[in-house]
Amino acid sequence: MKRLFTFISSAVLLLIFTTNVLVAQEIIVISGKATDVATSETLIGVTVVVKGSTQGVTTNVEGAYTIKAPANATLTFSYLGYTSLDVPVNNRTVLDVKLKTSSEMLEQVVVVGYGTQRRKDVTGSVGQVKGEDIAREPVLSPTQAIQGKVAGVQIISSGAPNSNPTVRVRGTGTMLAGANPLYVVDGVITDDIRNINSSDIVTMDILKDASATAIYGMRAANGVLLITTKKGKSGAMVIEYNGTTGLKQASNLVNMAGANQYAGYINEANVFYGNGDVLITPALLQSGANTDWYNAILKTGFQQNHNISLSGGGEKNTYFFSAGYFTDAGIIKTNDFDRFTLRANNEYQVKEWLKFSGLASFSRFNVREVNLDAFNVAYRAAPYVASKIGDLYGNTSLSNNVGNPLLNLEKNHDQGLGNRIQGTFALDLTPLKWLSLRSSFGVDLDFYKNQVYGYRFLNTGENNVFITEGGNQLRTNSGLGVTNNNSNRWVWDNTATANKTFGDHTFSLLVGTTAERFEFNSLSGTRINVPENRDQWFLGAGSPQGANNNNTGDKATRNSYISRLNYSFADRYLLTATFRADGTSRFPSQNRWGYFPSVGLGWNLINESFLKNQNTITALKLRGSYGQVGNDQIPTSTYFPLASINQPYIFNGSEYLGISFDQLPDKNVKWETTKEYDFGIDFGFLNNRLTGTVDYYNKKTEDALINILIPGILGDADNLFTTNASNFSNRGVELGLNWNTKSSTVWGYSIGINGAYNKNEITGLNGGQALFDGGVASQGLVTKSDNNQPIGSFFVRQADGIFQTAEEIAASAQKDAKPGDLRYKDLNGDGNITDDDRDFAGSYQPKFTYGINGTANYSVFDISVSTYGTAGGKIYNAKRAARSDSKDNIETDIAQNRWTPNNTQTGIPRANLDPLPASTYFIEKGDFFRINNITLGYTLPKTFLTKYNIGKIRAFIQAQNLATFTGYSGFTPEISGGSALSGGLESSIYPTTRTYAFGVNVGF
Amino acid sequence: MMSLKRFIIIISAITIVSSCKKEFLEVNPQGQLTEVQALTDPDAAEKLVGGAYNTLYLGGFGNTTVGFLFTIATDIASDDSDKGSSPSDFPPAAEIDNFTVNPNNFVFNNLWNGHYAAIARVNRSIDILEKSTFEESIKNKLLGEVRFLRAFYYFNLVRLFGGVPKLIRVPDPSEGNSDEFQTRVSKEEIYQVIIDDLQFAALNLPLKDATPVGRATKGAAQSYLSKVYLYQKDFQQAFDLSKEVINSGKYNLVPDYSLIFREKAVNGVGGNNNSESIFEVQTGINVGENAVSPLFSNGQGARGRGGWNDLGFGFNSPTSDLANAYEPGDSRVNASIIFIKPTLPGNLNVGTVLWDGFRIPSQDSVENPRYNYKAYHSPLRESPQLSNNKDTKPKNIPLMRYAEVLLINAEAAANLGNIAEATTRLNEVRTRANLPASTGTIENIWKERRVELALERDRFFDLVRQGRAGTILKAHGKAFADNKNEVFPIPQAQIDLSGGRLTQNPFY
Repeated sequence: MKRLFTFISSAVLLLIFTTNVLVAQEIIVISGKATDVATSETLIGVTVVVKGSTQGVTTNVEGAYTIKAPANATLTFSYLGYTSLDVPVNNRTVLDVKLKTSSEMLEQVVVVGYGTQRRKDVTGSVGQVKGEDIAREPVLSPTQAIQGKVAGVQIISSGAPNSNPTVRVRGTGTMLAGANPLYVVDGVITDDIRNINSSDIVTMDILKDASATAIYGMRAANGVLLITTKKGKSGAMVIEYNGTTGLKQASNLVNMAGANQYAGYINEANVFYGNGDVLITPALLQSGANTDWYNAILKTGFQQNHNISLSGGGEKNTYFFSAGYFTDAGIIKTNDFDRFTLRANNEYQVKEWLKFSGLASFSRFNVREVNLDAFNVAYRAAPYVASKIGDLYGNTSLSNNVGNPLLNLEKNHDQGLGNRIQGTFALDLTPLKWLSLRSSFGVDLDFYKNQVYGYRFLNTGENNVFITEGGNQLRTNSGLGVTNNNSNRWVWDNTATANKTFGDHTFSLLVGTTAERFEFNSLSGTRINVPENRDQWFLGAGSPQGANNNNTGDKATRNSYISRLNYSFADRYLLTATFRADGTSRFPSQNRWGYFPSVGLGWNLINESFLKNQNTITALKLRGSYGQVGNDQIPTSTYFPLASINQPYIFNGSEYLGISFDQLPDKNVKWETTKEYDFGIDFGFLNNRLTGTVDYYNKKTEDALINILIPGILGDADNLFTTNASNFSNRGVELGLNWNTKSSTVWGYSIGINGAYNKNEITGLNGGQALFDGGVASQGLVTKSDNNQPIGSFFVRQADGIFQTAEEIAASAQKDAKPGDLRYKDLNGDGNITDDDRDFAGSYQPKFTYGINGTANYSVFDISVSTYGTAGGKIYNAKRAARSDSKDNIETDIAQNRWTPNNTQTGIPRANLDPLPASTYFIEKGDFFRINNITLGYTLPKTFLTKYNIGKIRAFIQAQNLATFTGYSGFTPEISGGSALSGGLESSIYPTTRTYAFGVNVGF
Repeated sequence: MMSLKRFIIIISAITIVSSCKKEFLEVNPQGQLTEVQALTDPDAAEKLVGGAYNTLYLGGFGNTTVGFLFTIATDIASDDSDKGSSPSDFPPAAEIDNFTVNPNNFVFNNLWNGHYAAIARVNRSIDILEKSTFEESIKNKLLGEVRFLRAFYYFNLVRLFGGVPKLIRVPDPSEGNSDEFQTRVSKEEIYQVIIDDLQFAALNLPLKDATPVGRATKGAAQSYLSKVYLYQKDFQQAFDLSKEVINSGKYNLVPDYSLIFREKAVNGVGGNNNSESIFEVQTGINVGENAVSPLFSNGQGARGRGGWNDLGFGFNSPTSDLANAYEPGDSRVNASIIFIKPTLPGNLNVGTVLWDGFRIPSQDSVENPRYNYKAYHSPLRESPQLSNNKDTKPKNIPLMRYAEVLLINAEAAANLGNIAEATTRLNEVRTRANLPASTGTIENIWKERRVELALERDRFFDLVRQGRAGTILKAHGKAFADNKNEVFPIPQAQIDLSGGRLTQNPFY
């Protein structure tokens, strides 16, 4: 009866609305209270709207509201995380409501690109992370904060301030074109979201399979991350403050040999196996210095993060303002970073049928970068040299021809300043009830200025900066480089969405166009002999001699037509079909347009009659999809034959600038196309306390760009030709499980587990050759990307133990070896160990990525834990492999456990001054499991707070990267940087950092 | 509610403005010149010729014409020098030293690529020049310059590899893979290209002084043509052409041999582009620091064992055999070789002090016993790059000197039975070296060629030309194989890229 009534009243309301006839009604004042149905807790900030109007209020700190409405109106109560409730007024003046949590995953709304969809209607594979889970982690970038939270999304983070984590959705599917996913912030397409304050985020939605991403056709091949930022809600102003301060330090360091260990190793290597001289003489050790170079260049960094927001709204508008300040001093000396963000997201209901929204953010960061080479230099520098005494530095170039790492840091100043304005301005029109039109204009303006100053320092005479004069580390002229980059991008989307229901048939059709333009301009110059005073770090203050200026630019455009049809029959059978046509300036006119179709089918079994009469299963959906997407992230002028200008030659003693035509482009470069199948099942049991998702996908990239070598006779400058000549495959399974319970008012917990298996493989180099990459000093290239292997596979000699006796050597293919040397497998059996004996030895591509996350609360206490791990990837310990100087330092482990005639049961070869060839000896397992974040919170009791009219105070302590469990011996198993072809080489890496922080959340 | 009419207007407006014009997607490269745009420049042809000269700088460890790797390939293969540097450094050079070169040795791939890159640039400029509307004499002069360069490069290729693919025009990309370009032609056919180009150049190029310093001249074309004829054993032509160069009166020997390889003249004598320079790689200081042959000087500079600001990588270390080849009193030995002094006990070590006062420490601090003085660029008295980058020292490379023309003339004369003329020319060279006169026999001339042109990338080719490579290099202790090592292997990478159509040299 009640349902019938609701239906009738809604129908009446609908009728009133659509026929535009206003019937006068008696207006009454209604008040009441909103509480949680299970816990009876009062709910603050519940939106109460008179259905069919824009008139609304929110509940106050006592959960109470007061609203004026017609006596026969219906009130809609909505609250984040709760199921919305419609209650007819029926002339009542007091209306208390109890809201039910909607933590059930299948009730979620997900952002799918140019619109949203109910989770239960989605036919593709879409992951979602809530803003609160992102904001909890004290890291700069929202992408780093989602590490381990979504199955199939691999995030390779770095401890460096202002770093942009590497993100791979369902494996790497390209070689040369960008492998990063597409980011869409409130509809603005971008490739860098370090300007986004995590506290401003409502949700981050990750579109994974081709049927979900196809709506972004041209750039969707690597997945799409959609970020939705917060908006205000009608009602009283809500003020929130969140802050944390913490300390960070390197979470793991590599122990290097001390002075005596070092001398012992080097001398043994030369006395027994070299020319017999004692290289590290007692005289050298006389100063008594025993420098731990990592200690010399590292510090404990201070980090803080403060965010304040104001939000609210009236009948016709809502507002959300926020300001954030984030600092991170890093853990290497001289490193520093801070970021300031502002956001204003406002919406204005101009007319009933017209809404204007403006979402704008400004961010400004200041960073002092460090040259990561310092990390490698510290690895090499001899420990008997003092780092710095007073103002004088130890002269490491005399000991083993390497710069002093501390001097490298202190005599260089690399300062970056970035300003970025990003926003979307949109008009939403609803001319008819079933039709909405949207025109949105997004802009992204990025201004970046960089000053790099190198101080003058000499190694002899009056301006000597070293304890011992001499060597070859000096800078005779100070130098300044200034770069000003600015880029602007606009995206204009125009879409129309029609929603119609005919009986059991529900249709939603989206059609639209988008256009995008990107421009980039870089102006830079260098000068020498600029004064040391920072106020004079301008190009004008330098010497005109040798002045160098440069100005370059870039420009690209895109134009697309999009369409999507969602159809559902009786909430049981679902169809999503999309089609996108993309044109881009990056491809020649004959290949310019790409067409990207997709189709997804879903079957909501739970709504079938045969599952009606049971209570165990509460959700069950089967999904299947197929789609094609593209990748156009290639340099803009790839297909143009370009002239090489300013080719100098000296005639009559002065420079003549010639030109040459020596770059052969592929004039027929075309789209990389990724075709993907996805089959999935979504389920919920026990009243959706247990929910989960399983997906299988098979993703094939065709016509991927690859550089192929071409015959020298064609005269191309680098003998490389960029063309579409490779295929990739990524296949895998993803699993997500969530257990969620709130059994009583004081006690609740949830646990989420996700894991993904991915198999990456190069399936076809069409006329292309295997690609070698991953250069390691003195070892050459250590990766080879070839058919039937994961991209960037290590390709090296196969170490096979250590020679113990002369007899073993005589019987081997290494006649020149000595006992204690590594033995390599003679794979081709020719009796010599050469490059022909190399073989594949795994790649950095992990096979498994997984995360376990949990939250629990008991009374006023809460705790949350997030973890992340990978397995199956390999790491090449390149810093250990690259022995650039024979007297470079060694790790303690090597010094202590090296092979000697008295220590033969070891895997570490004898002391050796010479670099060893690339082999599996330097390859280690990259598996790790890490506790990303543990947060312990305490919420002050409400009884106490209401006295001071404060909504909420919560204090918490947290640890980021508390512990990493790994067998890898280097600084971190997370190797960011390197291209797809050369990933996983650890040479100069910013170590992962551990942060301990204290914070508060305050709400008014 | 919005009226339907208004709605339709808005829809149409949006549709119209957002359907971009076709031109919206036509975006030209920003700040980069396309070939099409470059050709609208009236000076395009001349600039392309400039760009062809730029190939003389191809060097370093990359694609190389006459730079560092060319020196490694030719001098180290000969009995003039050893690999140098530290024993384990740069195995491909050690293979060259020992004649254990295999087809994967990347030095030869880079020489192949560098020379063909240069030839492609020449062919491109010929293509544009022939379509240009320059006055005939200007056009022919420019054509003469680039054809001179092409001949010079093919002369290197044919001596390194024997017969090679013949490219004398720009292949259309679709033809790039055709048999015509992917197979080798005979050695003779390549020599015919070289002779045609040099004859055209000799006919159309001005004499020295009538064209900017650094550009190819009639004298340069004639000198190379005479050298080519010497290789062809056409002694009359070799004699006549070298005689023409001598009679042009444009060239004189530099009285002091040690000043030939300096940057700056001393009292008007020697220095870059001195009176005996016929063709020379021109280098200089510019903002890009790229008007140089990278690593040429540094690659051959004295290598330290840590502890001092050394000069370079220490490759191409002259052999004691070369040092002993000089007659007593020959002024050239100390101008060609830097001798490192042995370490003495105590503080008696003065090291080796070079002409500019630069001191190289004694042997315990230095990797090799001898270095190439002709590649030395003074850090104290000669022009440094602004950045002080040692890799880009502006060291000119003399490619053809008047002294060689005199010796070509002498050898041609001796072969023609004109011993008197041969003796005159030979003694012009010997007198400058403070040596007594001798007789112009072929044996004496060959002996003179070795010491006069030592470490100038000529010795190995000379030995092969003279037919004594096997005898001499085996006696020197190298694993030289007759009928194999007279040429180097065709790079395996290129054979693979040709689909096996390029054939390998015998026994590789």
